[in-house]
Amino acid sequence: KSGRELGTFCFQDTGVGKSSIVCRFVQDHFDHNISPTIGASFLTKTVPCGHELHKFLIWDTAGQERFHSLAPMYYRGSAAAVIVYDITKLDSFQTLKKWVKELKEHGPEDIVVAIAGNKNDLGDIREVPMKEAKEFAESIAAIFIETSARNAVNVEELFQKISKQIPPLENPEVDSNDSFKLTRQPAPSARRCC
Amino acid sequence: MAAEDLPSEFDVVILGTGLTESVAAAAFSRVGQRVLHVDRRSYYAGNWASFTFSGLLTWIQQHHEEPLPEEAQDWSSLLEEGEELIHLSHSDCASIRNLQVFCFTSEEDEEEEAPNTTEEETGGAAEDSECADSTEEETKETGEEEEEVREEEEVREEEQTTPSAALRQSEPTKKKISYAQLLKEGRRFNIDLVSKLMYSRGSLVDLLIKSNVSRYAEFKNVTRILTYRDRQVEQVPCSRADVFASRQLSVVEKRKLMRFLTSCVEETEEQRAYNGRPYLEFLRDRQLGDNLQHFLLHSIAMVTEDTPTEEGLASTRHFLRCLGRYGNTPFLFPVYGLGEIPQCFCRMCAVFGGIYCLRHSVDGVVVDRDSNRCKAVIDSRGQRITCSHFVVEEGYVAADRKRVATPTRFLSRAVLITDGSILPSDSDQQVSMVTVPPIAAGCPAVKMVELCSSTMTCMPGTYLVHLTCQSVGSAYEDLSPVVTRMFRTPESHDQETCPSVLWCLYFNMTDGSGLEAEGHNLPSNVYVCSGPDGDLGHELAIRQAESIFQKILPEEDFCPPAPNPEDIIYDGDNTSSSAGGEEEKEENDGVAEEEKQEEEKEMLEEEKEMLEEEKEMLEEEKEMLEEEKEVLEEQNLQTEE
Repeated sequence: KSGRELGTFCFQDTGVGKSSIVCRFVQDHFDHNISPTIGASFLTKTVPCGHELHKFLIWDTAGQERFHSLAPMYYRGSAAAVIVYDITKLDSFQTLKKWVKELKEHGPEDIVVAIAGNKNDLGDIREVPMKEAKEFAESIAAIFIETSARNAVNVEELFQKISKQIPPLENPEVDSNDSFKLTRQPAPSARRCC
Repeated sequence: MAAEDLPSEFDVVILGTGLTESVAAAAFSRVGQRVLHVDRRSYYAGNWASFTFSGLLTWIQQHHEEPLPEEAQDWSSLLEEGEELIHLSHSDCASIRNLQVFCFTSEEDEEEEAPNTTEEETGGAAEDSECADSTEEETKETGEEEEEVREEEEVREEEQTTPSAALRQSEPTKKKISYAQLLKEGRRFNIDLVSKLMYSRGSLVDLLIKSNVSRYAEFKNVTRILTYRDRQVEQVPCSRADVFASRQLSVVEKRKLMRFLTSCVEETEEQRAYNGRPYLEFLRDRQLGDNLQHFLLHSIAMVTEDTPTEEGLASTRHFLRCLGRYGNTPFLFPVYGLGEIPQCFCRMCAVFGGIYCLRHSVDGVVVDRDSNRCKAVIDSRGQRITCSHFVVEEGYVAADRKRVATPTRFLSRAVLITDGSILPSDSDQQVSMVTVPPIAAGCPAVKMVELCSSTMTCMPGTYLVHLTCQSVGSAYEDLSPVVTRMFRTPESHDQETCPSVLWCLYFNMTDGSGLEAEGHNLPSNVYVCSGPDGDLGHELAIRQAESIFQKILPEEDFCPPAPNPEDIIYDGDNTSSSAGGEEEKEENDGVAEEEKQEEEKEMLEEEKEMLEEEKEMLEEEKEMLEEEKEVLEEQNLQTEE
């Protein structure tokens, strides 16, 4: 199987459970006290998909979205975006629409968008009807799923759904790209320049 | 989203998201300072930003608009006894001037169907074109540039009609990309306001690696160094491999160049004798010949004819030191453009708790009269925010606080979108640094960078060309003569082989290196970051950020490495996800060990590769020596005869 890295980012207002979804997916545990800024810049998780291994690189937006100031660099080369809202807060669903707009304007054209209604375990105080959210998702051709990071409901499924929608590798323009990262051990300088 | 109020107390408030401010923000946040980082604009990086095509058009528009009269709000109710307010400026129009835009391609797609290098992109749009006139070169102007230029343009446009039609016929397979297509594919552009490159051993690259901020970006090698000489673009051989492969250099020149470059590395008594005298003189006395002298002066040292020898040698050494670290030239370029770099540092700042707020400014600085120190700032919404230090981009400092009212130095910039490379080669994906010596006495030397689409800064089928020089006149006056000579525009003559300019922009920007020296009349805990300078590298910005950091926190490390996120362990029960600043080494011994082994393996492999390369080079050298021997023998024979 060939491995393939998929840049993914996950965003929404603070407190809707974005970080807990990521945590549940990556570590399979739910942390009740996740601090808003976890000091990490991304987490990774590998999901097998057909003949490929999809390695999700999940960017943490580090709270930059809090005052609507997310840097466009987060979108670079991203294959998927997960927008999380809280089914018990109507406001969070309204801001989700703003993020979708932002994404359409600044994100890559072929980005796979997934909408996750989190806190599905708190159905009794639901404010966002599932039907409404689903219809909205369909209108923008996004994946829709309700999740519960607390009870591990649909978190794995969310990422599997994304995995299935990622088009197979056939973009030579991007993938034959010989760009590279700078690393701590640069090539030893023993090479005489001239 | 923005309904939330900002916290009202910080250690450092930073206004402006340019490179210097962003590096400072990351450095402060990284060592635990509470940082608020704001920018009046709706985008990151200020004058260091990159824009999509439509983003750039908006930026142009904004700089054409009359700045709103600055009405200082009355915040006196927020001041306490013994305090006064220093107002900050709201408009940044002062740093950008003389904007001129020209569009030399047709507005809509043309009807003729021709095989095309960018078929994929043109396919859809071609169908809905109607009004295009395939014979007439349309000179469409986007902006509100000065009236006189517009008139000139229109006259030329008419003159141009016939020859341009002829040109098109001679080249039936290539269809020009229309303005409509540039707009449609506008998101593929990332057009930098500043044109710089990263020296592979410069302070920016070192800092990116040291701090681990490098993980947020990817880079490409600048693949070749070109120079413009005798109306021709030539490749400059600079690495050992280039020198061997070069076809322009004679065997004797190759030897001379190698000898010279080897001798440069160490400072010698012979070199010191030239201190204070022009580098050109030093080069002349080495009897290198015109070819090599040009390469060494303009493309390797990148200095002018009157630069002193010690300076010329220092830049030559810097160039040589940077060779071979990543590629065959000393330079790197960030994928998606230079505007990514400030964003990367902002991201590091945010990861360590820095708070970000765009479209948000600081109206004034609250100063304690007795101590003459900044106690707080008043933000654009009238919130008083306490801070111990305030870092601000030069552009926000009001004129009455500057020791010199108008900036003394400007940079001239031009941005071109062209349809071909200035020096076509086997690969159409070259990233080129081009040095253009003064085309006439009194003209500035121009630095030019040509970017291909795989740098993710322009749409496939186009090239993005940046020109920069120290201003003598306006950007148009300084740079259009170079553009006209090296590219095909309605103004150029018989340059059928040159790439065509589809669209171009000229503007002047304040030169930050001029501002640095001037100084400001501000409290001692307010630190000013000058904007971008004209140098090719990023030394000034990094040096400034580091010096501000050290003034405030002399004991702290500047940008220590951030822990690897994959090493941060989330422990279910006792929430040790506080990985904030600490590197959680103990828990990761196993991982670290494995990584270490992997690293070692990689290094060994690299070394092996290098040795192989070296072997190849030695073989080449051997061949060359043999060639040389033959030449010498021939010469001997001739003299004998």
